Amino acid sequence: MNIPVQTDSFFERFFRQNFFYFDRYPLVIKIAVLLTLIAVITILVAYSSILLRRFAAYLREKRLHAIHPHIDELLTEYVLLNEDAMMQVPVEEVRLQTEVFLSRQFRKRWQKQALIDRMIHFKKNVTGDISMLLTRVYVETGLDKFSMSKLKKMGWSSKVIGIVELTSMDMTIADVTILPLTNSRNRTLRAEARNAYIKLSKNDPFKFFDVTMEPLLMWNQLELFRTITTTEGLSIPNFARWISYSTNKSIVAFCLKLALHYNQREAIPSIIHLLNTRDHYLRADTINCLGKFMAEDAEEKLVHMYFNQPVNCQIEILKALGRIATGNHLDFLKNEFLRSTDFELRKNAAKSIIRHQALATQMIQELLSNATTENALILKHCMNPLIKY
Amino acid sequence: MEQPTLIEKITHFFESGIFIYGITLLISYSLLAILSLIAILRFQKEDRYVDYNLLITSKIPVGISVIAPAFNEGLTIISNVRSLMNLNYPRYEVIIVNDGSSDDTLEKMIREFELVPVDFAYHKRLNTFPVRKIFRSSNAAYSKLTVVDKVNGKSKADASNAGINAASFPYFLCTDVDCILNKDTLLRLIKPIIDEPRKRVIATGATLRMANSCEMDEGGITRVRVPKRIIPRFQEVEYIRAFVLGKMGWSAINCVPNVSGGLGLFDKDIVIRAGGYDPLSFGEDMELMIRMEAFCCSQKIDYAVRYIPLSLCWTEGPSTVKILRRQRIRWARGLIQLMSQHRRLLFNPFYGRLGLIVMPYNFLFELIAPVIEAVGIIYYIIMIITGNINTPYAIMLLVFVYIYSVMITTLAILWDQITYKTYKSWRETFSLCLMPFFEMLIYHPLVMLFSLRGYFNFITGQKHSWGNMQRQGFSNTPKK
Amino acid sequence: MTVNILIADDDEVMLQIIRSVLSRGKGFQLFIARNGKEAIQIKEKNKIDLVITDLLMPYANGFEVISAFRRDPETAGVPVVIVSSIGNEEAVIEGFKLGADDFIQKPIQVGEFMSRINRLLAKSSTNLP
Repeated sequence: MNIPVQTDSFFERFFRQNFFYFDRYPLVIKIAVLLTLIAVITILVAYSSILLRRFAAYLREKRLHAIHPHIDELLTEYVLLNEDAMMQVPVEEVRLQTEVFLSRQFRKRWQKQALIDRMIHFKKNVTGDISMLLTRVYVETGLDKFSMSKLKKMGWSSKVIGIVELTSMDMTIADVTILPLTNSRNRTLRAEARNAYIKLSKNDPFKFFDVTMEPLLMWNQLELFRTITTTEGLSIPNFARWISYSTNKSIVAFCLKLALHYNQREAIPSIIHLLNTRDHYLRADTINCLGKFMAEDAEEKLVHMYFNQPVNCQIEILKALGRIATGNHLDFLKNEFLRSTDFELRKNAAKSIIRHQALATQMIQELLSNATTENALILKHCMNPLIKY
Repeated sequence: MEQPTLIEKITHFFESGIFIYGITLLISYSLLAILSLIAILRFQKEDRYVDYNLLITSKIPVGISVIAPAFNEGLTIISNVRSLMNLNYPRYEVIIVNDGSSDDTLEKMIREFELVPVDFAYHKRLNTFPVRKIFRSSNAAYSKLTVVDKVNGKSKADASNAGINAASFPYFLCTDVDCILNKDTLLRLIKPIIDEPRKRVIATGATLRMANSCEMDEGGITRVRVPKRIIPRFQEVEYIRAFVLGKMGWSAINCVPNVSGGLGLFDKDIVIRAGGYDPLSFGEDMELMIRMEAFCCSQKIDYAVRYIPLSLCWTEGPSTVKILRRQRIRWARGLIQLMSQHRRLLFNPFYGRLGLIVMPYNFLFELIAPVIEAVGIIYYIIMIITGNINTPYAIMLLVFVYIYSVMITTLAILWDQITYKTYKSWRETFSLCLMPFFEMLIYHPLVMLFSLRGYFNFITGQKHSWGNMQRQGFSNTPKK
Repeated sequence: MTVNILIADDDEVMLQIIRSVLSRGKGFQLFIARNGKEAIQIKEKNKIDLVITDLLMPYANGFEVISAFRRDPETAGVPVVIVSSIGNEEAVIEGFKLGADDFIQKPIQVGEFMSRINRLLAKSSTNLP
């Protein structure tokens, strides 16, 4: 095992000086000794970084603990309890003493950051004039520039933080700044930039609905939904446009939710047309949407297509019939309840029958008296007000 | 040169075998450490701006069923159920499965939460011992709660399956009634599922820790502490290493072998189609995970299992060697049982990373590690006795292995501190940092012996004390 | 006459906002609870005229707070307003079923918030014997 070593690196010299017989050690032992030393150094570094991190975290906590009450006090006094605002003076004309937010306490980066974070926190809880006043404070103290500067940083996460701050504070970002980011290679940055674009763009906020090919994830949908439904002054388009023409299934599914939220009944024909889609997940979403619209026009078609559907769509059809609840298809529901061998189908049929309330009283009695034990149990389950699902 | 004798050949083969084995093990630990660091830093980066409130404001948030089996938990059941009902999530239900408790667990719940038996259409998709009654609260304030009362099925798996049958939502959180959850657990665990572009995330998990010396009340943990007693403290270190360094590293390359039974969020559809928990398994959580992954491979579902580096669950760990022994013997039996059950997956390229990474790793470095270690030690002792050893070299190698293991564990503690400054005082952190030095000398040999005992029991087919003891395994150690 | 208002919320900032908004009105005595359990304790000790509660809180959630008020004959008529960021309709309906009088989703609009509070106070004072 004794391999002579010719090269004389730094380590060799180091070891020869410190370990008397190092040269004569077998290679394995040499490596072991070397790695032991590296491990010892790593352990020491780890200890010191634990210590340093703890100390830094301690300082941060202590500082924030001290500054938060102060920020709250200022925001309460000069924004929440602003006398002009209370007198219903228009927001633009309210006298704001922004100089208090420019004092020495808010010079350092972490102090500015703390102030921004706290203002965003306030904004999450309050809207209207107060919220607009907060935006004014943000702009007039130049904190928006602080956030803007993050957009110019290299790392995608700084950019995301910048965007989140600016949008949370209801700021406008120029299209030229935000548009390139909507095509970023980083998924998160792309999503946040699009979200911001919808919120802030004056021109065509829903532009990327037309162009994006990638699926819109559930998380992004949540984010967009909130942005779209809470942004003031956003002109809401007719979502039927995308329901009919978009080739991106997740955009279609998302537009179904939006059409429903804005009760765009004029979209119903497009939605009914969408029942022909080949993707059964999307079809299930479509049926669900029609049910929530209580679209009576769709009933016939739903019943008609029922038997060719996979279970997830069948369940949605049964639910939809219960929501629409015209009573025209009670017999269908009843037959399905008695016929099906699938537990979930029977349960949903029963639920939908019960949703017909007065229309179905007699039918329920009838079913209860003749039902098998399991079917009776399903009916009772669905009728029991103590059981939610 | 002389021809080497047969004995020398064997010794040489043996030595180099162990040597390669050891080196691979050490390298894989280092790789895990690096992978987990990358994953943690990435998580940290994202977590700075993620607004979890989004889920709360959502109109139709994803529903989650929280399933917690309870067996003879009369002392703490009320506060535990209360804490489960006050999680920070807008749409979830809590299903407590009373697994035929012989104490007043059920009575207490009935009284406190005003429960009444209801005609519940219980859909038996997974086979379990019979369900006696299902209760709901007559007080609408507790409308989240469903209590399933069933005949004792002698295993947590059976009780969990009954809970899954009663669950109404597409995802379920599997936990233990005596686990204390962080109030944001559901928000945190659902995020990786709904924010995943390509794969279907079938399970997510997070770090578990020891609840032993923590201060807590109905609302959860009020003050995290390092366990005061030595055995739980070793386990705290062990858990940090296993979760923060191990599972996070595996998560980075989508090779998570196990989502712990104490805390895991699962895709119900996949769990049911894969067959649910196996009541005969001694390690039902890992067994289910492997089966789910194999199921996904066979169905061509592009799956992922994700871990997040936050500590979301605190569980009471064994506080004495005796209880620890019982737990570890059970775990070891579970592992060997699982490996023999699913041996067809091993090195099977059809199962992709499951067959080529997860199973081989767990076979080589989890299952047979204690055996190799024990053989190695015996071999060394023989060599020392026969004088066939170069003592200084042997000592150097030993020191190396010792320092290396200390380093890995210390890194795990550091990674953990990166995500969150868990302990309040540096004194506690320091006391934790000391543990790696003793772990190799005290705790590790114990665990190794218990594992060997578990294998022995499995091979000789010795009956494990079935019955209620079984659920005492993991987190059900007696309360003080 | 002072009006005793109980505010239960686990968000410090929200508490601060409600507190300052209500401080504009006259004769309000505020009781602050940071979780449902505290709220119920305060209810036991004081005569409360109006409750403003969040839904998702530790220890006891908003539903339990509402239920505690409604089940006690002495407080059954006290107006309860839910102020929560929860968007899930199911949960809101649940709150109304338990007897909440109003639901205001966060973020709140101060003017609207005040007028709703005042309306409830006026209504309950005419209902007094």
